[in-house]
Amino acid sequence: MTLKLESVTAGYRNRSVFSELSLPEIPAGALVAVIGPNAVGKSTLLKSIAGLLPISGTMTFTGENLAGLTAHQRTRRVGYLPQPLPQAIPLVAYETVFSACRSARGDWSREETEQAIEEVFDTLGIRQLALRRLSEMSGGQRQMVGLAQVLVRQTPLMLLDEPTSALDLHWQLNVLNAVRDATTHAKSIALVACHDLNLALRYCDQVLVLSPDGQAVLGFPEQVLTPELLARTYGIEARIEHCSQGQPIVLADRPLPASVR
Amino acid sequence: MSTVSQTQPVRQEEPAPRVSLAREYRRFVWRRVMCLVALASAALVALLVDIASGPSMLGLADVVHGLLNPEAMDAGTRVIIEDIRLPYALMAVVVGACLGLAGAEMQTVLNNPLASPFTLGVGAAATLGASLVIAFNISFLGLAAHVLLPLSAFVFAAVASLLILILSRSLGASVHAVVLFGIALLFGINAVVGLIQFVADAESVQQIVFWTMGSLARASLDKVWIVALVLAVCLPFSLRNAWAMTLLRSGEEQARSLGIRVERLRLTVLMRVSLLTAAAMCFVGEIGFIGLVAPHIARLMLGEDHRFLLPGSALAGAVLLSLSSIASKLLVPGVVLPVGIVTALVGIPLFILLIIGRSRRVAL
Repeated sequence: MTLKLESVTAGYRNRSVFSELSLPEIPAGALVAVIGPNAVGKSTLLKSIAGLLPISGTMTFTGENLAGLTAHQRTRRVGYLPQPLPQAIPLVAYETVFSACRSARGDWSREETEQAIEEVFDTLGIRQLALRRLSEMSGGQRQMVGLAQVLVRQTPLMLLDEPTSALDLHWQLNVLNAVRDATTHAKSIALVACHDLNLALRYCDQVLVLSPDGQAVLGFPEQVLTPELLARTYGIEARIEHCSQGQPIVLADRPLPASVR
Repeated sequence: MSTVSQTQPVRQEEPAPRVSLAREYRRFVWRRVMCLVALASAALVALLVDIASGPSMLGLADVVHGLLNPEAMDAGTRVIIEDIRLPYALMAVVVGACLGLAGAEMQTVLNNPLASPFTLGVGAAATLGASLVIAFNISFLGLAAHVLLPLSAFVFAAVASLLILILSRSLGASVHAVVLFGIALLFGINAVVGLIQFVADAESVQQIVFWTMGSLARASLDKVWIVALVLAVCLPFSLRNAWAMTLLRSGEEQARSLGIRVERLRLTVLMRVSLLTAAAMCFVGEIGFIGLVAPHIARLMLGEDHRFLLPGSALAGAVLLSLSSIASKLLVPGVVLPVGIVTALVGIPLFILLIIGRSRRVAL
């Protein structure tokens, strides 16, 4: 299972967000952090891989051209978590996840579906929310339910657009652990857009940095995340230090004046 | 010898035997089925009371007995029940159900709790279509007026739905913008209907006025069957889209990534809403607020799983219109008010409550 992008151009009406983007092959089991400043195209990239935007270029997943798949085939292969949280409506969490299974995993029997739902609620630690209405949940809890909708389908490719944006520290770690487990055990690929560079450093095998000049760098976190790159992409002065346990951490010191950028 | 305070070893607690989520959910679903049964029983009771009430009050027992065993009734009661009360009461049930279903589907696909055929001007458009046929005796392809009238009502309702769809898609319109557009449409259409009334002859004017007031008085069993048939054809298609609509409610992008063709779903649903609205209105005229209020009642009782919400909303609509029909006979003794006036009188305060509740939530 590998993912490969070759000269992909995507965007919205009359405006391309990135063009001719090519990435080296992403291997099976990889957890890739997609980082970069606002409006650089992180969401656009995930949406176009998910097939929600028209693109040009080729995206190959395990030998198949993603653009050539039917909607049905695609739902089996690609799970996508959009950035907006699920709406606060009187739908209970179990139904939300169940309806996702009904739609995407028609091949499962009722028992298999129930089993998968049971597991995903346990993995994410949100069992007690199962029969609560989304309208009675906090934003973070709804985000967890949205994530459950994606994880439950056990797709070999997961695209998560800022899955931790509404979560406190405990749940952030919890979510990334769950995604990490899914990629390790099922050898699936996960692309996670996020703004927290330290989370990316800690959990991800590779980082994909998109910079405003249209360049993209993919590589191991410690090789890619350098003060120079952070200055170029984010316009900040930053250091990469190592903590007492030897883990690298990014420390952002100050924004660079526009003239330096 | 020093005393050592010994801490009790923490006993590992045995995990309590867990009930599986699936079983808990099944119990939850069971409660909803019971809610649906309760709604259906309420509709039945309302129907019977509706048949019993009127200028000459009948006992509920007499009504049930009379319906089950028509031969045993005396001729006068039989005429009252079979020729007058029964079509009238059944019409209230089927029209209410059509409007309730249409309202629920519309609120879901437009993601707008204030949407309904009435508030967005779809009903008014149907009135315009009907008025044109009534006033100008239009003949088209040699179709008779009683076929042409519902057809024209449907076409105009569909055009109004399309306008709303285009607006909410191209402008990414917010909840309130779509409702304001609906109100503008309502006023515009009312003006045109007024113009038609101005130029039309006296008899046509009377018919148009009858349409705009909404009255069950001209119901007959044949007409009930036609509306019931439209409902019976639409409901299975609605239920087939139930999963997709449930997913759409939890998030449009998520639904799209799950392979649901959202645009196509919106279009088919709005066409169905137009058909249901036109069918509901073509024999009884404009009846407001049922399509707005019924989905909210159903949602409170049954949540957002559309397998339950859609039939629940249809049943709630049936109950509401039956109750309004009863009220229309009892409010002024001896006079049967047009039911559209009753629903508007009850519906407008509810509509205002919904708006207030919503702006409060937005303000928070």
